[in-house]
Amino acid sequence: MKIKSILIANRGEIAIRIIKTARKMGIRSYVIKTAKEPNAWYLEEADKVIDFSENFDESIPEFLDIERIIKSAKKHKVDAIHPGYGFLAENPDFARRCEESKIIFIGPSHEIIYRMGHKTIAKELARESGVPLLGGSPGAVSDAEEARRVAGEIGYPVILKAAAGGGGRGMRVVSREKDIERMFSLATNEAAKAFNNPDVFLEKFVREPRHIEFQILADQHGNVVHLGERECSVQRKHQKLLEESPSPALNSSLRKKMGDAAIKIARSVNYYSAGTVEFLLDSDNNFSFMEMNTRIQVEHPVTEMVTGIDLIEQMILIAEGEKLPFKQKDIKLNGWAIEWRINAEDVQSGFSPSLGTIEKISWVENEHVRVDTGVRDGSVITPYFDSMIAKLIIHAETRERALQLSSQAIMKFWIKGTKTTLAFCRAVLQNSNFRKGNFNTSFLSKELKIHYQNEPDEALLAAFFATYDYAREMNENEEKPLHTENGKAITPWVLKKRLR
Amino acid sequence: MAREAKKKKTTKLIALSSTNKAYEFNRPLEKKIKYQGKVVDIKLHEDPKGFSYIVWKNKKYMLDVIEKKQNRYTIMVNGVWHSFSVETPVSLKRKRYLEQQVDSSVGVSIEAPMPGKIIDILVEEGSEVKEGEPIIILEAMKMQNEISSHISGVVQSVSVKKNESVMKDDILMEIKRS
Repeated sequence: MKIKSILIANRGEIAIRIIKTARKMGIRSYVIKTAKEPNAWYLEEADKVIDFSENFDESIPEFLDIERIIKSAKKHKVDAIHPGYGFLAENPDFARRCEESKIIFIGPSHEIIYRMGHKTIAKELARESGVPLLGGSPGAVSDAEEARRVAGEIGYPVILKAAAGGGGRGMRVVSREKDIERMFSLATNEAAKAFNNPDVFLEKFVREPRHIEFQILADQHGNVVHLGERECSVQRKHQKLLEESPSPALNSSLRKKMGDAAIKIARSVNYYSAGTVEFLLDSDNNFSFMEMNTRIQVEHPVTEMVTGIDLIEQMILIAEGEKLPFKQKDIKLNGWAIEWRINAEDVQSGFSPSLGTIEKISWVENEHVRVDTGVRDGSVITPYFDSMIAKLIIHAETRERALQLSSQAIMKFWIKGTKTTLAFCRAVLQNSNFRKGNFNTSFLSKELKIHYQNEPDEALLAAFFATYDYAREMNENEEKPLHTENGKAITPWVLKKRLR
Repeated sequence: MAREAKKKKTTKLIALSSTNKAYEFNRPLEKKIKYQGKVVDIKLHEDPKGFSYIVWKNKKYMLDVIEKKQNRYTIMVNGVWHSFSVETPVSLKRKRYLEQQVDSSVGVSIEAPMPGKIIDILVEEGSEVKEGEPIIILEAMKMQNEISSHISGVVQSVSVKKNESVMKDDILMEIKRS
């Protein structure tokens, strides 16, 4: 069935990304307005806005309210729902409710989501397919005592992971027995909060592996291809900070081996739609299956850049029942792509969230530079959603050239009003082991000692500017002793006039 | 500051960084900085989109005022922030004297690094804590964050309760250095 309208059950940059492809394909796009972001940009890009900002149930966040989303989709007679990433993207009940309501869910079936989302079933499928795995608990661990027992059996370090998890939430590494109880309760609390499911399981933790994932595309007629890998090893607390495709760690024979394993995993559940198979790769190039994400990923653009394939378009076509228009031999990886995640985070204070208003944002886009973002001048970074401001994606012929163009693009990416990870991106680019492609998931904790790039004169200039502003106020106070401007923000362009 | 303003003009100002580095400037401040014995021009610009930058020794530095409270400033230069308190020679002297007095007798306060909700308090009054030891779990942006003590000592008072919402910089507890 041809899809003529899509409700996007998401927000921010991914909503805008889906709208772009929908527009290209002549599909009407519907989005959801919430009271938390009534002026967000994605609302203006869509053809129609469904207002959830009134009468909402405070106990369920808008983008998790399955019944309200289904009801709205039916009321507006939309053909399909795209869940984006996060929120309900990997919730089997949501996919099932779509199926029951005769709305096409742009993603795999609810059974596939359930089986792959259930970490222990997924591991069993991988084992049956002959794909290498790590040792761990057979199912969810019921309490801290069981966690202690299983961890004792497989040996520390271990990792606790939310059974319904993703994105680093509900995930804790435990190195010593004395921490297991505290970490177990942190992980279950976080899992319950984030995924409405407190189940966590336990697994052997591989020290300093690389995180490599394979993009899969599969149709409903049994055709499966992989679109190469993404290197996602630069992470902080299991949150990815940049991704590249291909990975500097893979040669064509390892790529073929891992790609074949990824396809086997997909075939084991008769997968269809876009999906991602995640592996850990140790320093001896042994890989083991971690999990499969049954949705579009944040970092999908790097794959799009090197393959030239629009992944959202393929997801929609597959959902319509179309056959894949290419075979594995048609997939060529062209050049090198890197995605820099620009987050509203304070790198100098341990990447803590930095809330506030993006007063101004500006960048330069060209044939090598793509920017996916959901913010513009005046957008507010709220505590309700993730801290991502933009994804800066660079594509060039070689890795070296892509890094060089990254430096230029980062220097031209300007954001005023909030602290961002841009200075972190510059620090990564300065690191010689990163430049050589020689890094793993311990890069931030071990290799990159200072998480932001800082030149000596910058402190002096900042000191001058602070003093200048203060002196100007002092001058005014000395002239008019009763007047005070304390607490009132000074804008540099006012100062500029006074500097002349 | 108003009290000082009535006195005769201060001729010197010092920007004291959060790492205790002092940058001294003479009043009146001009568009020049004495730098390694030389006087260097400093130019403040604004691009057509409204971004501000300084040109310094032929290089461009993006500039943004992130926070300003009385004499306390946080200035961002090329994406890296620097915090200062701007002091007069008199206020600096007083500040340094007070810091010496405070150091050993009163507790150090642990402040919320971000707004959020208190999920758990891992210590109580009288608990002994080590530097780097987690003391509070704060939930913000859907993540549970461990707040650690940055000093070793004994918990003097806890100012928050479980499930309470806090703002950035709210005092969570006081720890007496040991």
